[in-house]
Amino acid sequence: MSIQVWALAVAGIALLAAAGVEAVRSARARRRAVGATSAPAADPYILYFTGDNCTVCRTHQEPALAKLGTVRVDKVDAIVERELADRFQVYTLPTTVVMSADGRALHVNYGYAPAQKLDRQLAQARNGTLTMERTATA
Amino acid sequence: MALTTVDHSALKVNQTGIIVTVLVAFLGSWAWYRPLLVLIPLLAVVLLLGTFAPQLALFKQLYFKVLKPLGIVKPRPVQDRPEPHNFAQGLGGVFLAISSVLIFLPVDARTALVTAALGLAIALLVAALAFINLAFGYCLGCQIYFQLGKRGLIRA
Repeated sequence: MSIQVWALAVAGIALLAAAGVEAVRSARARRRAVGATSAPAADPYILYFTGDNCTVCRTHQEPALAKLGTVRVDKVDAIVERELADRFQVYTLPTTVVMSADGRALHVNYGYAPAQKLDRQLAQARNGTLTMERTATA
Repeated sequence: MALTTVDHSALKVNQTGIIVTVLVAFLGSWAWYRPLLVLIPLLAVVLLLGTFAPQLALFKQLYFKVLKPLGIVKPRPVQDRPEPHNFAQGLGGVFLAISSVLIFLPVDARTALVTAALGLAIALLVAALAFINLAFGYCLGCQIYFQLGKRGLIRA
């Protein structure tokens, strides 16, 4: 076989291995996502992890959050607030966490979360019909 | 840190340049002319030079001097920081430099098959990551930059 075929095989295996590792890490992060913070509120709210170097945050996530209207959004700099970011296993930006009024983490979205999805999660949080759901969209 | 305006079209042209160059080197050397593999070290030099001296970034200059003035590619300015993108480009350059060393390592024929295949595989992975960035906007180098900053290893 030529070197090109071997190279394709090696690159393919490496990509598959990386995808597998990412899937395992993402699943572990979801399991370990913490269920409570110290910020109770009148209504469900959103913890929004961002950073100066996050382009998608500015171009996609923030316009999506703006569409939610009067929902409280607590913006967290993931680099400055490392402890809080680690608590929610934030490994990519943006990450959004839908919190219940009593401060429980209900949904963790790794990567860009569209307004429609956040709206649905907030509605579930208000109705109390939620399960612990976490998704990776990065 | 202060945001500035980054033209994301320049980044896209850069990513397209990386993908096309690696594919030409890979497919061309396979089907037609093996010396085309020399495009990989050249690409490494272009990326590394462009990281430290933006005026020498070949693909970005192609965009700013030709594609943009002629209206072939429309500008897309975004409030952003250039550092993560430069970091990602530099990382790509470093991996392509490693790839080049492996491809052209002067070893015996049997070992050369292994090292050259490994080198080409690294170049293909760089192209794959450039494609993921181009198509889906996911920049692995930027995420590594973020993680290093989070751990205090660089000033992010």
